[in-house]
This record gives sequence, C-alpha cells and structure tokens, in this order.
Amino acid sequence: MDSLHAIGFYVSSGVSLAGALGVALLGNRDVRGASMAVVGVGLAGVYLSLSAGFVAAVALVCYAGCALLVASPLYRPMASVVGSRWRQVGAIGAAALLAVLAYSAFRGEFVHANFYGGAFGVANLGRLFFAHDALSTEALAVLVLVAFAGATAVWRVRERTR
Amino acid sequence: MSLSLVAVFFVAAGLIAVGAFAAAWRRDMTAALAGVPLMFAGAGVAFAGVARFAAAGGPQLFGQEFAVVLAVAAAALLALGLGIAGREGQR
Repeated sequence: MDSLHAIGFYVSSGVSLAGALGVALLGNRDVRGASMAVVGVGLAGVYLSLSAGFVAAVALVCYAGCALLVASPLYRPMASVVGSRWRQVGAIGAAALLAVLAYSAFRGEFVHANFYGGAFGVANLGRLFFAHDALSTEALAVLVLVAFAGATAVWRVRERTR
Repeated sequence: MSLSLVAVFFVAAGLIAVGAFAAAWRRDMTAALAGVPLMFAGAGVAFAGVARFAAAGGPQLFGQEFAVVLAVAAAALLALGLGIAGREGQR
C-alpha cells in the first residue's frame, strides 16, 4: 500500500475519531448532529483508503441520515433512569473495552485467510448481496422496513395524541 | 509511511470504545442512542480492514459486504430507537 493511501487513512481516522468524541461529549443537539456528519465523512475516507469505494458511498449516505436524526428537534430528550454511579461504571467499562480491544489489535497479524469470491467491483458485490447472501439482504431489508414503519407509526400516534 | 492491519484495528477499537462510552455516559436517551452507530462504524472498519489485508493481492468483497450491512443497520436502528425514545418521552 502506498504512502498516499496511508496518509489518507490516518487523516480520515483522525477525523472520524474526533467526530465520535464530539458525539460522545458535546451537549448541543445541532453540534452532535454535525459531529455525526464528520464521523460519516471520516469513515468514508477510511473506507476509500481501504479500497472500498462503494462502502464509502453507502456509509456517507447512512451517516448523513444518522446526523439528520441526531440533530432533529422533533425528538424530545428523555432522561435516563440509570443513576450516576452506573453511568460511571459504564464509562469505566468502555475504557476497559478500549484496553482489551487495543491489546487485541497488537495481536492483529494473526489473519491469514484467502477469499475466493471473484473479482472486485460493484457488480460482483451486487451478486453477493442478491445471490450468495440473499437471505441476509432480505433480513436487512426487513429490519429497515420495520424501523421506518415503526418510527412512522410512533410519530403518527404522537401527533394524534397532541 | 505504511498502513497495517494493526492500525486499522486501533481505529476500530477507538470507534467502538467511544460509542460504548457515549451509550453509557449520556444521561439523555436520545443522545445515548447516537453511540450505537459509532460502535457499528468501528465494527465495519474492522471488517473492511480484515478483508483488505487478509485478501492481499485478491478480492475483498466479503468484509465490504458486511460493512455495507452494518452501515444500513446502524441508520435503521437509530431511526427506530429515536422513534421509540421520543414516544416514551411524551408520557
């Protein structure tokens, strides 16, 4: 892999991690949405530097949608019933998770696998989606349908009760 | 400057940990839900990285396929979760 790809990867990963920290730490809803969009842009750059252009386009669209959802004023804030002690335990658990995953990353050179799926390209990716792994594609489509139909139904009920 | 699978795993670990931190730390449920797409993004980066480096010199389709699935599932789950949280917040 040439140095241009490597520089693109490191810059994009820095952008995505900075955006993720913004999502986690910033208080304003609009700024959180903008941070989610930054995560999407950085993620697309990471995928591009890993030679995954189609995934980059899909991630850009999906995370733009996530940013709009996070920044939307239509969702009212809902206070969690979890106490501050459990939140602190969760934060410590996240730090422990980072330590475990970082240790696993040091052992990341274990991967020695071969893939025999055909040449790279959007057409071959489509063949995988709609032929080889059609069942998982159907399951994902059902999940998306349930998610958006559920969100729409919830929204309609809420509008009716106003 | 070179890029290795370890660097990809570090970025994935960072995204997953920050997402878990956001989900655990935020008091507002709608803000905590925003941590879920971050964790999915980390998993997608790990899948794409493993596919890229494990299939060096060959095709990298399977990891990319799973990364697409994770990105779409993240958006769908966030929409459903925010809808349910908004509904609960009305009470």
